[in-house]
Amino acid sequence: MPDINRNDVEIMLDDVGMVYTASDGRDVQALTSVSMNIQKGEFISLLGPSGCGKTTLLRIIADLIKPTSGKVLIGGETPQQARLKRRYGMVFQSAVLYDWRTVIKNIELPLEIIGIPKEERHERAAKMLDLVGLSEFERHYPRQLSGGMQQRVGIARALALQPEILLMDEPFSALDEFTREKLHVDLLKIWRKTNKTIIFVTHNISESVFLSDRVCVLSPHPGRLSAVIDIDLPRPRTMDLKDTAEFTALVSKVRNSFEGV
Amino acid sequence: MKKTKLGRNRERIETIVYPVMFGILIMVLWQTGLLHKLLHTDDYILPYPDKIINIITDNSDKIMVNVWASVEVALCGLLLGSVIGYLIAIIASAFPTYGAGGLTIVSAFNAIPIVALAPVIINWTKDVSTVAEERSMVAKILVVTVTSMAAMSVNAYRGLTELPQFSDDLMKTYAAGRLTEFVKLRLPNSLPYIFTALRVSVPGSVIGALVSEYFAEYIIGVGRQIRENILIAQYATAWAYIIVACLIGILMYVLLMIVEAIFLRKRR
Repeated sequence: MPDINRNDVEIMLDDVGMVYTASDGRDVQALTSVSMNIQKGEFISLLGPSGCGKTTLLRIIADLIKPTSGKVLIGGETPQQARLKRRYGMVFQSAVLYDWRTVIKNIELPLEIIGIPKEERHERAAKMLDLVGLSEFERHYPRQLSGGMQQRVGIARALALQPEILLMDEPFSALDEFTREKLHVDLLKIWRKTNKTIIFVTHNISESVFLSDRVCVLSPHPGRLSAVIDIDLPRPRTMDLKDTAEFTALVSKVRNSFEGV
Repeated sequence: MKKTKLGRNRERIETIVYPVMFGILIMVLWQTGLLHKLLHTDDYILPYPDKIINIITDNSDKIMVNVWASVEVALCGLLLGSVIGYLIAIIASAFPTYGAGGLTIVSAFNAIPIVALAPVIINWTKDVSTVAEERSMVAKILVVTVTSMAAMSVNAYRGLTELPQFSDDLMKTYAAGRLTEFVKLRLPNSLPYIFTALRVSVPGSVIGALVSEYFAEYIIGVGRQIRENILIAQYATAWAYIIVACLIGILMYVLLMIVEAIFLRKRR
């Protein structure tokens, strides 16, 4: 990525660790000694099998849980300060739309919470809905949409507060392959238009290679960062990229970097 | 799975047409006297439907006075009990460590039979007013309050705490305070649970009102009239009040279904 200033660090992880106390009283090391820097505007994947701590790491960055050791800085602030300033939007494994609100009202929810007046709220939400290509479904209720459309509304809602960082926790894992591939291309378009820093958690190797600037490979028992692989494929990326030898080679490289799975 | 039009129609037939046909069958057996033969009884204990209907139409003024007395008790108790129950649920959800345990105690009230509760409450409230009509009213409303409260608090607590996965995390990422989270998430999430509670407590409030009238000092209400007329062996009049009591319960339930359909139409 030529347009990224390599010294513009957005998120800094320093020796981050997480220990849970299990129900039988034993300590479980969910994450151990993760250190890395994420640049402003970068697309990063956290890739690994279940139990590798990738979601734990994302939740630490999001300040939904506190690490038991190490330090996290987001633009020089603690995750809590960043959260209270609403510096990131989050997309979850399911769309988490409130079923009593229409599509547009779901996107307006965060704007309501920060007290944006009604008209501006609607205008901004409509713009976000347009960005994910669902303008005509404004007045629909979530249950009337397919899973892929619901997740796109989830992305629009996460972008509504115009956060600098987008945290995505396996957002496409519940979707079928066709919908997922479409959303990959859409997500990259949105990313290019909005210049967000994106951290994308996934267990899908090809997904992580297709989307990311860098793939962070996490291995389980204990959860640790076992490799960081640069994905130097040209952008903008289209579906055809997946048929190239370079893509396949990177997928193999990522696959071979796992330890102890 | 979306239901087909055909499937919905079949369901409608099963839930409406079959019960109505069964009702008509019973009425025919009753009016023709076959029901009396089956039950080994006579038309003095179990008068014919046309006689009961005549009594209702001939005494409609007196019956309506008693109907309003019962409905007033049922509705006031229902409202009071539901509001208190919901407030208990809010407090319980705000203090989750003690909340669930506290609710178990509240729901234990549900296990007390109304026939046991009513005399106790009537005894407690005998000094609240010098007018018998007023103190009986207070006692009866309190009985219904206690019974409605339990259903509401238990269901509302579930509605306030059993949130869709990640929906509370979402609120956290918006740095939403507890009040915002309550208004934007927990309150609307609890709405269907409120109706679940009312489906139990609306019929329960009618039963509570009728039964507490049995024990009340002041003689009024549909339930009390059933008792009074049986005591003086006016079975036809007692039956008239039994029919009216059924109609009150059915009408209040139908009203609830209509209100529920309006409030939850967006979610179905």
